[in-house]
This record gives sequence, C-alpha cells and structure tokens, in this order.
Amino acid sequence: MLEAAGVSFRGILHDVTQTWPAGRLVGLVGPNGAGKSTLLRVLAGIWSPTSGEVRVSGLSVHQLSPRQRARHVSYLPQQLPDDIPFTVREFVEMGRYAHRPRIGALSRADRAAVDQALSRLELADLAHNPIKYLSGGQRQRAAIARCLAQESGVLLLDEPISNLDLHYQWEILQIVRGLASEGRLVVMAIHHLELAAAFCDELVLLRNGRVYQAGKPQAVLTPEAVEAVFGLSVQVFPDPHTGHLRLSWPETVDGAGSHPPREVEEVVPACAKRS
Amino acid sequence: MSRRRRTGLIGLFLLLCIAAWVEISWGPVSIPIRQIGSQTWAYLHGSRDADAVVMGAIRWPRLCAAILVGAGLAVSGCVLQAVFRNSMADPGIIGVSSGGALGAVLAISLGLGAVSPWLPPLCAFALGLAAVLAVYRLGSIGGRTAVHSLLLSGVAVSSLCSAIVTLLLSLVPFQTMAQMMFWLMGGLDGITWVHVAVAGSAVLVGLVVFIAMAPALDIISIGEEQAEGVGVHLERVRRVAMLVSALVVGACVSISGVIGFVGLIVPHLLRLWFGAAHRVLIPVCALGGAVLLTLSDVIARMALSPVELNIGIVTSCLGAPFFLYLLRRQYARGAWG
Repeated sequence: MLEAAGVSFRGILHDVTQTWPAGRLVGLVGPNGAGKSTLLRVLAGIWSPTSGEVRVSGLSVHQLSPRQRARHVSYLPQQLPDDIPFTVREFVEMGRYAHRPRIGALSRADRAAVDQALSRLELADLAHNPIKYLSGGQRQRAAIARCLAQESGVLLLDEPISNLDLHYQWEILQIVRGLASEGRLVVMAIHHLELAAAFCDELVLLRNGRVYQAGKPQAVLTPEAVEAVFGLSVQVFPDPHTGHLRLSWPETVDGAGSHPPREVEEVVPACAKRS
Repeated sequence: MSRRRRTGLIGLFLLLCIAAWVEISWGPVSIPIRQIGSQTWAYLHGSRDADAVVMGAIRWPRLCAAILVGAGLAVSGCVLQAVFRNSMADPGIIGVSSGGALGAVLAISLGLGAVSPWLPPLCAFALGLAAVLAVYRLGSIGGRTAVHSLLLSGVAVSSLCSAIVTLLLSLVPFQTMAQMMFWLMGGLDGITWVHVAVAGSAVLVGLVVFIAMAPALDIISIGEEQAEGVGVHLERVRRVAMLVSALVVGACVSISGVIGFVGLIVPHLLRLWFGAAHRVLIPVCALGGAVLLTLSDVIARMALSPVELNIGIVTSCLGAPFFLYLLRRQYARGAWG
C-alpha cells in the first residue's frame, strides 16, 4: 500500500493526498508540466517533499536508507540511455542492488530472482545480448525485468510506453497489467488517455501540481475534465467493440481526415449556390 | 571468464613481465637476467657490491613505483569515468594533479625542499587533497552535487592552480625551475623503498574500496536516475569515490609528480576489450596501468640515454595520438564503448 499525505514539493506539487492499495494499476495523467514525473520521484523517495509524507506499508519512505527504500519501491525513470554497455542479464542483476551482499558475488536467492524476472518477461534467450542491440520494446521489457528482480511491492514507472510503437505499447501495458493483477501496486505516468483508461483501475488527473480528479477512468475522463485540464473539447463514448472508454477529438483544420471528407460536403453546395 | 578476457589477461601479464625485465636489467649497469635473482638475494643479505646495490636500492624500488603509480592512476581514472558518467574524466579532472603540482612547486619556491626532502611531496599530497575538497564544495549547490557543476569547478580549480604554478615558475631562478619541472612532467628517479611503501598502501586501500564499490559503479555508469531507482546511495558513493581517488592520486603525485594520460587512456582501451563491468575492469586497469607506466619509464630512460626524459612527456607523446586514433575509430562506428 502506498500513501501520499498532503505532499507538496517546491511549488511543483501542492497538497497531493492519495491512498492506493496493493493489486492496483494506477495511471497518472495530465498535460506536460502537470507534475507527473515529479510526483513519481517524490513517491519513490528520491526527492523529499517540502511538506507532507509518503508512506509505504506504514513506513515513512523518506526516513529509510536508499537500500531499504528500494526493497519496498522500485522506480523506473522515463529514459533508458541507449548506449548501455551491459548485457540483459547484467542489467537485470542491477535490480538486486538493494538485496545483494554488500561485498562479493550475488547470492543464490539473487540469481534465482534474476532468472525468474528474465523468464517472466521472456528474455531468457536474450540474456547474454548487449542491451544496446535490443529493439525499443525489448529494452523496455528488460527495464521492467529489472524492477521485477527488485522484488518490491510497489512499482513506479515513468511513461513506460513513450517512444514505443503501437504493438509494443500494447505488449508493455499487458505486462504491467499482469504485474498489478498478481498483487503488486503499479503507478505509472502515461500520456495516452485511451490506453490509460483501458488498462488502469484508477486514474489520477493532475493539473498544475494538484489532483484535479481521481477515481475510476469513466469518472475522471469526463468531457468537462478533459476540457478544463487539456483545453480540448472532446466527446467521450464507449468503444462499440470492446466497451473501453474512447475520446472523439474536436474538429480538425479544414476538417482534414474526417469521414466522409468535408470538402465534398461543403464545397459542392457552395458551387451549386453560385450557379 | 570468457576466452577473450582470459587471452587479454594473459597478454597483459606477459607484457608486464617483459617490461619489468627490461626495467630491471637494462641501464648504465646492465644486469643479465640470470643474475637478477642472485643479485637481489645478495642485496637482501647486506651485500654492498655495486651491482647488488643498483639492483636492490635503485631498480627494484623504481619498478615497484612504476607499477603502483600506473595502477593507481588507471584505477582512479576508471572509477571517476564511471562516477562522472564522462569518458573524458581522468584523475586531473577533480583537481588533484594540478593541486599536487602546485603544492610541490610552492614548497620548492619557499625553500622547504632544502629543509627536508620530504616536504615537497608532503605539500603535494596536502594541496592535492585540498584541491579536491574545494572542487567538491564548489560543485555542491543546495546540498546536491550535480555532475556538470563538479566537472566545471574541477576545470576551474585546475586552471587556477596551473596559473599559479606558471607564475611561480616565471619568478624563480633557472636551477630551481629544473627542479620544479620534475613535478610538472613527472619522473621516477630517486625513488626509495619508503616512497614505495607510501604509494603502495594508498593504492592497495584504493583497490580494495573500488572493487567493493564495483556493483554501484556499474549502475551509476548507466545514469544517476537509474541508480537512485535501485537503491544506490548516490551522494555517498560519489563522495567516497572522489575522496579515495584523491588519496590514491595524491599519493602517486607526491612520489612521481604529475603523469598525464594514464588515467584517461588505460580504462578507455581496456573497456573495449574487457567490457564495462567494474568488478573485472578495475583489477584489469590496475594491471594495464602498471604495464603502460613501466614501458613508458623504460622509454624515458632509454630514448635519449644517458639523458633521462620526464616520464610524463613519454606518456603524453604515446597517449595523445593513440587516444585520438581510438576516439575517431569509435565515432566512426557511431558508438561510445
């Protein structure tokens, strides 16, 4: 369980109070600069809040040492450098830093956790390949395997699907969903509102460092809320095939891309009028 | 261990043996390989025969110093490159070299060298450490130390020290200047067993600490955010790495003067062959640094014999073109090893 109680941070976050139980997938949504990444870093205990407290299973995150903290919370930053000179296995082993003996090689439990994380994300065959030769989706899988090897109850992921194509976005979200269903709490920042609504149990919509709305996706992503936070007037409707929440965008310039094409509808009557 | 690593390790070891043999047996008094053992034995048993003394009091300490200083510089360079996430980092970047040179030059120009031959090296060590502490203080803003502010304050403190050194050089008589040049370009002449003991203990402590830090260094080398995510105590690792490197390099500078390029080129080169995992890279760098410095010392002694060159001139003349070659090759491949 992760709890933020009145968390503020240097004028970027204001009085964020949320409680999330285990087994949930929570999406942080909101425009650029709304404070999604900052909130994740504060939740991860890397930055200390200027006021308020973050508690994980009852412990105050900011009073734990980095090693103790990492056993409860894993944090995956947005960007993985693309020149990592390690193999997949060496990279996943880094997730054991908080558990491994301070001096000497990995213990048997460490190696077992690494093996398990690799096979869980279907990376066993790639274990000895250098990270820098993997595709974007495989690399992200390796990053999640590293979090898994950390064996923490809470995973904080900063935009895990940015820079991925549709196929990999779907794949990664399925994996993340699975991790939550197994009983972990996963909190991720995500830009894609429809995918967020489809996969998350709960969304937190941030605006200027404050929680604008939080709760079930249907309750959060109302046309009014999207208009107020993103400045776009949209319609919300259930997908006719799956029932997932969908957004219809406002009209484009010239009506480009609409169906049937707008030119035909409007230009023809105009000509007719002139003749 | 992979075959590639084993081959590399055996190669380095053979190179070190050859370099050590040349260093020990060549020179104004040449001692054939068969006599190395017996002359050393004789020196240890109190023989004051000329060959035995050359062997035991000059050549052996010099070889040990070359090995230790080379190892210390290369290992510190390797660690600092990881901590700064910058492949251009070398022991000079945290100010310890130029601070050390300033300490020695200052001591000589104040006439402290005449009071005791130990004062210049002591001042070199003290000012080397002081320079690192200054860099660390100046680079920490608001309780956090950012890599780029550390790098920039390192550059600034180094050039300030160099400027003062140049000022002092231009004010002293020619004779003293020659004495000072030893500290600026490095040299291993006049090494005694006491020097070796001092450098040896610092380098040994450094090696142990650095190898214990290897997992943290691996993680920091891929990014600070990644390191914080898995529970590395970033500030502490960085502080320990800087202070221990300062100790090691300070001890090296105080016995041999400033020797450039070893700390930069050895980790670079060996990373290409042995990979980036520090638990392997650090011991291998120690070996590689020892090889490079022993070979350089041989060249420094032989190239213009009987005149002895400063060893720093040799390492820079060998190192700079080779480094440029590597750099261009790596960029041509579009990757940073």
